[in-house]
Amino acid sequence: MKAFLGRFRQEAVLLVLLAAFVAVAWRLDPTFLTPKVQGTLVKLVLELAVIALPVTLIVITGGIDLSVGASMSLAAVAFGLAAERGTPWPLAAVCALVAGALAGMLNGWIVSRARIHPLIVTLATMSAYFGLAEGISRARPISGFDPAFQSLVAGPLMFFVLALAAAGAALWLSRTVKGQAVFAIGLNEKAARFSAIDVDKIKFWLYTLAGTAAAVAAVSYAARRNTVKADIGHGMELDVVTAIVLGGTSITGGRGTIGGSLLGILIVHEVRQFVSWHWERDEINLIVIGGLLILALVANSAFGKKTDSA
Amino acid sequence: MKKLPARELGVGLVLFVLVLAVQLANPAFLRPENVRDLLIQCAPFAIMACGMTFVIILGEIDISVGSMAGLLAAALGTWASPSHGGRPLLDCVFGVLFLGLALGLVNGLLVVFARVPSIVATLGMLTVLRGVTELVLHGEWVTDLPPFIRQLGIGVSGGVPNPVLVALLVVAVSITLASLTPWGRRVYAIGSNPEAAKVRGLPVKQVKLAAFALMGLLTGVAVLVSAPQLSVVESGYGTGWELFVVTCVVVGGVSITGGRGSLWGVLLGVALLSIIRTALIFLRLGDQASYWERAIQGVLILTAVLGDRVSARRRAEVGA
Repeated sequence: MKAFLGRFRQEAVLLVLLAAFVAVAWRLDPTFLTPKVQGTLVKLVLELAVIALPVTLIVITGGIDLSVGASMSLAAVAFGLAAERGTPWPLAAVCALVAGALAGMLNGWIVSRARIHPLIVTLATMSAYFGLAEGISRARPISGFDPAFQSLVAGPLMFFVLALAAAGAALWLSRTVKGQAVFAIGLNEKAARFSAIDVDKIKFWLYTLAGTAAAVAAVSYAARRNTVKADIGHGMELDVVTAIVLGGTSITGGRGTIGGSLLGILIVHEVRQFVSWHWERDEINLIVIGGLLILALVANSAFGKKTDSA
Repeated sequence: MKKLPARELGVGLVLFVLVLAVQLANPAFLRPENVRDLLIQCAPFAIMACGMTFVIILGEIDISVGSMAGLLAAALGTWASPSHGGRPLLDCVFGVLFLGLALGLVNGLLVVFARVPSIVATLGMLTVLRGVTELVLHGEWVTDLPPFIRQLGIGVSGGVPNPVLVALLVVAVSITLASLTPWGRRVYAIGSNPEAAKVRGLPVKQVKLAAFALMGLLTGVAVLVSAPQLSVVESGYGTGWELFVVTCVVVGGVSITGGRGSLWGVLLGVALLSIIRTALIFLRLGDQASYWERAIQGVLILTAVLGDRVSARRRAEVGA
């Protein structure tokens, strides 16, 4: 029992946090918790969660990807521009996935080959991808997609994609040698290299995966909203990183779980939606999410220190 | 005899070629009034880049400065405008400087004592501070900045525009600080080898805290000379500045992993980036320019860090 609690300590804390949030929300505004409202909000959380999966793996290796929001914008614009020229939607979706994958590959290539810190690399590519998305779309909205596409992709499809991806990621992380290698890289990269782990290759594919996941989210967004614009991914990276840190993944690498990140995403998303629902003020959200990130970081850092000395 | 600073020479050369090219394409570029405008425009970035140089040489980074500038501008506007605070000049100036210093200290405390990596800590601050700015301004614009505040940005003292004068002062002090004081040498020592610095007994925590506080203070100085250049203050003020300043510093040859770089190179970086910004307009790209500007900034950072990496490898091969 104690071992079980020890293993799922972070998740237990998050569940308590979530319960506390539900209680507060219930007290302030019960309509927010009705199935109808939650049903319309759930689709956005799926997109966030899909992006958070590979980014969690990246953070466990000790890296980070701040460009996922920009990659999502780039992929969405690629989809929109292709669809606008009369490309059938499956082909347009492939365009988006290729754009996202390429964006991720460039990150992965620079991080693993040039060995520059991923924060700087992805901060720079974030700017580059957003700029590119704005430039090729001239920052205008593109809308009006195939109704068949909307009904198929915006339906429960995304839920199955997420469930499959999450289960796959969790199993891969805990049950395979490559998955264990991800932790090894985060704990001590040099040692991992000496242990014949192909660090560069794993990193390259994780960043590529993050770009691809951002593209999946972009396609889902396009189906759900029937419109795309170069700024749709704006701020996404913050929500994702906040959720991952909240979920107990160490920002310096070596520790983290898929389940924790999913719970983190749920909390970040619910809090964000509730604030805009109840107060209708976006600026409070900026303060709340940013504050949540700082608090989670400080808490994790304090917690990590304790385990070090123990 | 010092070795030739190759990086500074390289940036200088690129700067020279760029100026020449833009001048040939549009002869209006080097007219005195345009050069004057350009200097006024880059003054606040030169001021902030000085602070950022110390932070990055220490191996840290502060990406909250854009939002910090926004909040400080909002504070300046609400304190000074007759319809809100209506406070006198000195109150406003010291208020902004003090608030900047305090915000910088918060960043420093998060990094030094809570041991949060600086990029994520300041990413959080970037978001929080922008939210606070919007909360303070309620989406309204402060439009009635009194003349004595506007003078800070558009006034001229002894033939030199105030922002340029202040920037020159800050640069002079920073260069002195970096090259002539023990504190400056400690910054380089800690940045190039934090472990060794700790073992040697250098006050790593205090130096880092001071650098973040200085960054906040200088952001305050930059806001004092830049926000009054416009007649309105709005909540989006300073958005994206963090990336611009970091780009200037990194392009100017400061190693992103710390320990290496000079303020002279950073100044060249500021000039280069500011000219690229203006050049995009002068080359008649029109409204396209603003879309591509971000992309160009991103590519520039990447090129700079990649170049840094390649030269570091070459140094390692030769030196080892």
